[in-house]
Amino acid sequence: MKYILMMHGKKADWDEYTRWSKEDLQRNVDYMRSFSKELNDGGVFVDTKGLALPHEAKIVRAGQNGEPVTDGVFPESKEFLAGYWVIDVETPEQAYKIAARASAAPGPGGKPANMPIEVRQVLGTHSDLGF
Amino acid sequence: MKYILLMSGTKAGVDTYRAWSKKDIDGHMAVLASLNRELTESGEFVVTQGLAGPHEAKLVRGLADGMPVTDGIFPESKEFLLGYWIIDVATPERACEIAARISTAPGPGGIPTNMPIEVRQFAIHVPQS
Repeated sequence: MKYILMMHGKKADWDEYTRWSKEDLQRNVDYMRSFSKELNDGGVFVDTKGLALPHEAKIVRAGQNGEPVTDGVFPESKEFLAGYWVIDVETPEQAYKIAARASAAPGPGGKPANMPIEVRQVLGTHSDLGF
Repeated sequence: MKYILLMSGTKAGVDTYRAWSKKDIDGHMAVLASLNRELTESGEFVVTQGLAGPHEAKLVRGLADGMPVTDGIFPESKEFLLGYWIIDVATPERACEIAARISTAPGPGGIPTNMPIEVRQFAIHVPQS
């Protein structure tokens, strides 16, 4: 079963993250790299990505003639996707355990950031969903 | 440049979608499948995934001993990721054009849903260890 583990943050959280010291950032990145490597070695890794700052995010709808209408204004409360892992595991419990590991990634001063990780099953391509 | 196009909705929005007629759902899926084919042919398609319903979503944190603590309670206003497309395009404008195409996929009665699609770029710089 494939699961996606997602990290979210408001713009204010991202601003805070960009103010972390170089040492704190490095520690966090090192943890994430070794975490991804472990997932890979354990045969459960599918993909991981980090997203660009939410300041560049756009919402797009189609206008009358199908042309894109873009908007870059979001409520301050909006939670933006910051990054994700896709894993392939046997049970949901295994996905939760791995999510807990992501949550324990170190924050400022090396303390676990204890970030909430959203865990969702991935079903396949949109047309496979069979609603 | 790679972009991710995110389709999100609240639990109430998903319940509305699940109540669509089979004909409406088939019409919607056919347009999305045809868009996927078109993007594959143009070489812009990377991947698309649909997620299980938000009712099964969990929020997980790690305890000090590394044990997971799961929570399944979310505010009603929470926007859940429903599915995404990763595309590889030449310009940001092209990414927005494709997002607009997804937004025009038909809903009930064949009328475009006009669903908002969030367009995000991937982080380019990651500090090297």
